[in-house]
Amino acid sequence: MTILNESGIPDVLHPLHAVNGLAGRLPGTLVIVVGMRSEAHVVRSFPGGGPGGRVRFAILDPRDPPQQGQLANLAVDAAGRRAEKVLLVGSRTAAALGVDVDFEARLAARKSGLTVAAVDADAPYANPGALSTDLEDRVLAALVDLCPKRRTSELVEAASQAKRTGFFGLGGRNRERPAEQGRPVVLLGGALSPGSAADLVAELARTGVEAAGVVPPTGDDLPPVGEGTVVAVMDPNLGTAANAARERGARVVRTLMPIGVDGTARFLQDVAEDAGARTSEVMRARSVWEELGALRGRVRGKRIFFAGDTGYEVPLARFLADAGAVVLEVGAPRLDRRFLAEELQALGSGVDVVVSPDWRGQMARIEESNPDVVVASAGLHAPLVARGHLCRGPEDFVRAGLHGYEGARRILELFARTFDRAEALDASSL
Amino acid sequence: MRLLKDVYEGPGSHGILRLAACIGGVHAVLRAAPGEAYLPALYGSRERDGLAAAVTLSPLQDGRREIYAPGDLSQDLAGVGRRHPGAEAVILARSEAALLSGETIPAPSPPQPGGRDPALVTCAWESPGMGETEAADLALEDLVRTHARKGLERSPYPTVNLFGPPVFGPGAAAEYDEAERLLNLVGVEVNARVPLGATVEGLRRLPRAWGNVLLYREVGESATLYLQDEHKVGRVTTPMIGAAGTGAALRAVAELCELDPKFVERTVWSELARTSKLPWYARLKPPETFAGLKAAVFGDFTYPLGLGYALSREVGLDVAACGTYLTHLERDFLFHAQTFTEGGFVEDDPERVANKIVAARPDLVVGTELERAVATDLDVPFLPLCYPTAGRPFVENPLMGYRGSSILADRLDEALG
Repeated sequence: MTILNESGIPDVLHPLHAVNGLAGRLPGTLVIVVGMRSEAHVVRSFPGGGPGGRVRFAILDPRDPPQQGQLANLAVDAAGRRAEKVLLVGSRTAAALGVDVDFEARLAARKSGLTVAAVDADAPYANPGALSTDLEDRVLAALVDLCPKRRTSELVEAASQAKRTGFFGLGGRNRERPAEQGRPVVLLGGALSPGSAADLVAELARTGVEAAGVVPPTGDDLPPVGEGTVVAVMDPNLGTAANAARERGARVVRTLMPIGVDGTARFLQDVAEDAGARTSEVMRARSVWEELGALRGRVRGKRIFFAGDTGYEVPLARFLADAGAVVLEVGAPRLDRRFLAEELQALGSGVDVVVSPDWRGQMARIEESNPDVVVASAGLHAPLVARGHLCRGPEDFVRAGLHGYEGARRILELFARTFDRAEALDASSL
Repeated sequence: MRLLKDVYEGPGSHGILRLAACIGGVHAVLRAAPGEAYLPALYGSRERDGLAAAVTLSPLQDGRREIYAPGDLSQDLAGVGRRHPGAEAVILARSEAALLSGETIPAPSPPQPGGRDPALVTCAWESPGMGETEAADLALEDLVRTHARKGLERSPYPTVNLFGPPVFGPGAAAEYDEAERLLNLVGVEVNARVPLGATVEGLRRLPRAWGNVLLYREVGESATLYLQDEHKVGRVTTPMIGAAGTGAALRAVAELCELDPKFVERTVWSELARTSKLPWYARLKPPETFAGLKAAVFGDFTYPLGLGYALSREVGLDVAACGTYLTHLERDFLFHAQTFTEGGFVEDDPERVANKIVAARPDLVVGTELERAVATDLDVPFLPLCYPTAGRPFVENPLMGYRGSSILADRLDEALG
């Protein structure tokens, strides 16, 4: 594996495009984007999302910057009786106009008694660049900070309680299995992949590990995160959220992301081990690979170029290379080598990772290498399709739910469907 | 500070980028934070023509930056000419975050005769809080001012420049097509379409035209005023919406281009007989269909005024409310709106707009995508005919000209039964 830094300008969708989707994922939460017309316009231009969340915009006037406490009052009024939580998403323009979103969130919480958290959408990362999924990372970091913080002994007790009731109604399935774990496990991620966390909770339960909860939660309650908690990060873009958990004293598992067969197997094994249970996923992984044989046949030898902007590209490439595809290049608008050390190690020797790829350079390399399929960011998608390339958006995989063994199947099915459709269209006489 | 549910317009930088995306040979440099360049994604999903928008991000980064990495504004601007040999003009757009950073910008550089470097238009007037429409209007003026050649002779036959809507406008390209078709019928050729489909060379030759036809005043106002003042090219500002508006615009063009008024009149009558169905629709329907029906119209500037006038005078609806979100055009809008309604208003808060519409108790709402919710709440038909709209049709229909009036008749027929 070679890592090159192109120092170019990658095509990355504005991280705020995900506001509607995240708000939909957090029912009962009012999301207030604090900034100017720019931020509001991004959110309205990408209206994807679902029911449940409410989004409002606190539009600042540069000629009349707000007084301290004004935003807090506005947030309290807007929350009314309908919202249980408020997320104040601060932007670069808000910071430039002197709005202290953290302070306003604390003030609003004190005034209203509601849970109010500040999300700094523009806080710098250690590595330069941006990912389209950065907001998800920051929102989850804010949610981790909202999680109750208890001592280890209480957390163990809470985990046992969870075991009795079961999460997602799946706990009962393995009730007869004696639990060996010593530390409660909290899953972190899967915010935009419905069902992913439930699949992993079920897989962990099969190995004898009961999850104490998931961030973001499927219900109202956030699980306790603190000293003694084992935090299992599901997504490769959650560096800030993982740090937030680490800062609370939680132990963040260093392992592969639960994407693809081997990734899921390593994830389950390592999480179980950190939780105090021992399990081997070798046989299960082997049987899943066998079950996926036909789908694997559809991607074997296919040449895939990753020009996405989500951060999911590295684990996706790792899985597809394992499945027999030829990965031509993996573009990474930002790469946190420390956080993704295991992923990069597992990527294999024949794969090139290009950090900060220049989108024009990517287009030229795609033209030159003529891959069978390109996983392309939103801005490159239409121009590449117009040049005759087969494209999938990285968000297609995220939305389909790419975690766990079932996620591995869904990833391969998405590719197989893409090839089938293209072949059918090519075969039709126009 | 205001708490809004939504916004009608993007920032000024978005308007400049929309404008630049229309004109061949113009390359935009967006000075903004990494990740703020969402126009390529928006362009790809809305226009769906497979072209890549000519935008380069000059990232505004805090902290360490590698020497050759982009981020130095002067270098990034200079690099466009090198990397994009086809670029004849570079236009600088700054995001609100970049504007608030207070950094200085390079001086503009007009095109040098025989020089190979593209002209640089810096849009130094850009300020935080400015809306996309106003910025697009001023940016177009800057581009025209930079490129329009002085001392060009008028074309030997009557020609006009069409100043219409930029990309993302509903049916934008179809509006130009219909206007050009009608102008050709009366014997006038189109010298240039601006901004959609224009080229830098076309901008240079704008003063050749006998007149400017302002289809979309929001974006062509300043440029056409400049051409009128500096190059003595007159303009026609009547909105070409509805049969009456279209006829009035054609007659004004005929006067500007010194055409035979009888020939123009015959063409108008022929189009009214063959193409325009709005007058027919109004005559065929029994008067009870429209009696006492109230309409609320809301949008940018040209469309609410043109549609409001057509609905009121040609169809016979009572336009109880007609508004715009373009606050910088308040005085002009209210002046024109009063000719057909007493309910003219200017408002850019969608919730207040909804309240105005509810108060008008309309039987039909014509507006932007943001008015869909209020129409649903009122349980009345809704026609999303004004920018911003959500639809992305592959085949665009005009709302202007005689064909546009027929399409309006169809939409009204569907909505009102």
